[in-house]
Parts: sequence; C-alpha cells; structure tokens
Amino acid sequence: MQLFGQILVNGILLGGLYGLMGLGMGLVWGVLKIVNLAHGALIMLGGYALYYLYTKAGIDPFLGLPLAMVAMFVLGYVLQTALLNLIVRSAQLNTLLLTFGLDVVFVYMAQLLFSADFRTINPPYAGKNVTISGVVVPYAQFGAFLVALVLAGLLFLVLDKTRTGRAIRATAQNLIAARLYGVNPKRIYAITFGTGAALAGAAGGLYGIVSQITPYIGVTLTAKSFVIAILGGLDKPLGVIGGGLVLGIAEAMAALYLDPTYTDIISFGLLVLVLVARPAQLLGRA
Amino acid sequence: MNRYRWLALPIAAAALAVVPWFTSDTIVQYGINALLVATLAQAWNIIGGFSGYPSFGNSVFYGLGTYGTAIAMAQLHWSFGSGLVFGAVLGVACALLFGIPILRLRGPYFAIATLGLAAVMSAITATVEIAGKNIGLILPLFRGDTLFYELSLILLVAATGTVAWIARSRFGAGLVAIREDEDAAQVMGINTTTYKVAALTVAALFSALAGGIHAYWITFIDPASAFDPSLNVRMVIMTLFGGPGTVLGPVLGALILSAVSEVLASQATGVASLFYGIVIVAAVLLMPKGLLDLVQGFRDSGWRYFVDNVRRYRI
Repeated sequence: MQLFGQILVNGILLGGLYGLMGLGMGLVWGVLKIVNLAHGALIMLGGYALYYLYTKAGIDPFLGLPLAMVAMFVLGYVLQTALLNLIVRSAQLNTLLLTFGLDVVFVYMAQLLFSADFRTINPPYAGKNVTISGVVVPYAQFGAFLVALVLAGLLFLVLDKTRTGRAIRATAQNLIAARLYGVNPKRIYAITFGTGAALAGAAGGLYGIVSQITPYIGVTLTAKSFVIAILGGLDKPLGVIGGGLVLGIAEAMAALYLDPTYTDIISFGLLVLVLVARPAQLLGRA
Repeated sequence: MNRYRWLALPIAAAALAVVPWFTSDTIVQYGINALLVATLAQAWNIIGGFSGYPSFGNSVFYGLGTYGTAIAMAQLHWSFGSGLVFGAVLGVACALLFGIPILRLRGPYFAIATLGLAAVMSAITATVEIAGKNIGLILPLFRGDTLFYELSLILLVAATGTVAWIARSRFGAGLVAIREDEDAAQVMGINTTTYKVAALTVAALFSALAGGIHAYWITFIDPASAFDPSLNVRMVIMTLFGGPGTVLGPVLGALILSAVSEVLASQATGVASLFYGIVIVAAVLLMPKGLLDLVQGFRDSGWRYFVDNVRRYRI
C-alpha cells in the first residue's frame, strides 16, 4: 500500500508537469487551429535556456524560469509573425508540415549548438526530499508541480478576466466576428503562439530539473502533449492539467504493475481508445 | 510532342532498369533505397494525396511487411516469395482491422491516432517472442543487389501504375470527392467508409511489400528501425514536395529528395538534417501544391507564382 501511495504521488507530480506541456499545445491548437508539431522542440529549447541560465549565469532555476519564459515568448511571437501567420489559413496538412519542418530545424540547430550530451539542471536542493507517512516527496519535483499548477491558474485568469484574454477567446470562437469588433488577429495569434511557446519553455525548464534534456526529447513530448490536450479538452486550462494527471498516473502505474516498456503502449493506447470512443465531442470542438 | 508523351514513362522505367549493369555498387545500393522510399511515398499518396487522410500509420504497414517476411524466413524457414506474401497479408489485415474505426476520425485526430497506432505496434512487437523481442531478427544472407534493385523497380512501377489507374477511375474520383468535402461525397451516394478503407488497404499492400524487400536486402531488422516514425514523415514530405494527388509527383519528389539528402549526408549528418528542415519550411511557404504545380505555375506566371503562394493563405 505504501508502494502504491509512492507510485501515486510520483504519477501526480509527473502529471502536473505533463499538464503544463499539454497546456501550451492545447492553447495554440484551440485558438489558431494549428497542431504544433514543434511543441516538443520548444519544450527542449526552454530546457536549454534554463540550463544555460543556471550553469553560465548562476541564476537559481526557479527564479530563472520567468526569464526563460520571456525568451520563449519572444521566439514564439516572432515565429508566428514571420512564418505561421503566412499559412495559418492554409490546409491543415500544410500547417502540420511547416511546424514539423521547424521541429527538424530546432532539433538539429540544438544538436550543433548544444551537442547531443545529456544535460540536467542540478540545483543544490535537487536530491533533497521530505518523507510524509512513508511517501517520499522530492523538493524539486514538488516545486515543479506547484509551478505547473500556478501557471495553469494564471492562464485561466488571463483568458477569463483580461482584455487580451477575451480577445484570444473571441478569436478562437469566431475570427471574422472578432475582427469586426476591432481585434487585430495577427497580433492576437502572435501573442497566443508566444504564450504557448512560453508555457512550453516553462515545461522544458522544469523537465530539465526533474529529468534530463537532449536535443531529441521533443518528439515523444509532442505526442504526449497532444494526448494530454485531447484528454483534457482544448479550451479548458484546468481540464488540461487533469489530462496530464491522468497520463502521469497511468504511466507510473503501468511502469510498476506491468513493465517499464509498457508505458508507451499505455499512453498511446489510451490516446487511440479515447479518439475512437468519443470522436463526436472531439470533432465538435475541433 | 504531346502525342508521344506516354512513351516517356516506359522509356524512363527501362533506363532505370539497366542502371545496375552500367554503374557502381554504391549507386545501385542508393537506388534500392530510393526506389523503395519512392514506392512508400506513392503508397502514401493513395491515402494521403487522393483521399486527403494524413496517415502517420503507413510505417506500421511497412513494419508489418518487414516483420512478416522476417518471421516467415528466419523463424519458419519459408522461401522469400512466401515471406513477402505473408508480410503483405499482415499489412493488409492490419489496414482492414484498424482502418474501419480509425478512418472515422478526421484531420489531425486521424493523424495522431495513426501516430499512436504506430507507437503501440512498435512497442508490442518488442514484446513478442517470435519477433525476436527487442533484439530483432536476422534473415538468411543473400547477396544480389541487382535482383533487389529490379524487384524494387518492379514494385515502384506497379504502385505508380495502380495510382495512374486510380487517377482515371471512378474509385479515384470518389477519393478526391472525399478529400474535397466528405459530407458532400456521402450525400452524393459514395460509400465513404468502403472507399477510405479500400484506399488504406491498397496503400498498406504496397508499403508491406516494400518492407519485405527491404528486410531481405538489409538482412537485419529490429522494432526501432522497422516501425521508425521518421520514415513515415519522409513519405509525407516527399509526396508533398512532389505533388500530392498526382501520379508522378511522389516519385519525382522521392527521387530528388533522396538524392539531395544522400549528397548532404556524405558531407555532415547534422547539417544535412538541418537543411532538410529548411527545405520543408520553404516548400510549404513557396510551393504548397508541390513540384508539378510549381512547374506549371512558374510557366504561367514566373516569379509571381511564389509571391502569390505566400500571399494566398496569410491572415
């Protein structure tokens, strides 16, 4: 039972981070109708940004996180303005392909610039933990989980309460009507994609603290972000965190009770099942 | 001139067929890869180009063809011919089995479901005893690059012939109708499910056969290489680069891009892939309808073709 509790806690802590990954994916998808295949690469770049902020500038990872997010926001804003706005009305296959091309460019630029070595952001408190009734909770993992929750809450508030957030939601619902009410869609799209990139960057930084980063982590994380965004529902930030928790717990349980090689079968099997079992609601939202 | 245009294809095929007798081993080996990838692109064209369903599961059919042939030859000691048939049967059975539920999904949902299917199949294969688990299988050694080259060429010609037939047939017209507006196609009396599953099955047949030939040629297979998702991505890119929904576009795109990446890979691996990414981004922006449309469009409007393309879809 104690083992079960430990696995459950591990799954929940990992799931919060997964939720953060799904958040950026779901936001971009819901508003821009773009399935961003470069999402995992943006996560990877955020991880490297935080890694270099910590090793070269000596900034504590949790304090450096906002800086990395700002850098990723700028990158996302520029990408959307310079490239994605040009094809955002094109066929969905073209946007898929363009973001895939960006993914390839990012991965191999990272390989050339940062080398293919494994990197871990390793602050002094990385190995420390607290034991609550037999269940070990590592500080770094718990901090990452909290940050993920806070960011999801912030996104929810921004979308719900601010003028920009309302403009984003209006654009997602009806581009033409939003335009008629004075929303500048180019700017809103750029802000949305920038926010998605910033969330991906935050997820990548936290991932670098709790795990390892290489230029190649992106592909699996893109696929998982997609699963999570679908599980949670695109337009609900808190739902997406829930989707992340489901995936994190399912993976942790599969690794314990079946075999570590089954984690991928679980996450992607879950995906195929969810897609096939409830396409009507999903398609209504697409 | 137009009267004799149809002659160009048999002549090109014949010219490709005599290549092994006039060039080096390296070129023949490159040729086998390029022809097999072109076959895969052509197969993807049937489901992705004509029906408009962006499948990322074609690597599953390729992988099943690979494993079917390998299991038949290495574990059951069948001949190569029966191994190929076994692999093809596996691929087609998978297309029929999963095609019906998955083809109900549309757009990105379909794409990601097929991606998930590919990941699951790869993981399952890695746990099956007769498929050699994680380690893979070793096939009997057979040195005969020329034979494999000619087999690959025959397969590519067969796939291209099939697509040429589809492009002129009622079946192909139905697929295009599904691509343009599925609901309208259904209202017009097209049995969309049958059409889509049939398209996926034909694509699966050619992909599985290509996998089988590759397995016997390369003699060693493992789950990671047989179900490699990046192979599927290459099919998509080559088809889109050449021209999706055309007869010759995927073949041209595959042969050109294989040649480019072969030349670049001999220089530096990381740079080659980086260049590949840049080509994809530029191609989507400047020539979203592929090479064949570019040739036509450039003849009509010159450099304005690119400007028009960039302007067409921007917000």
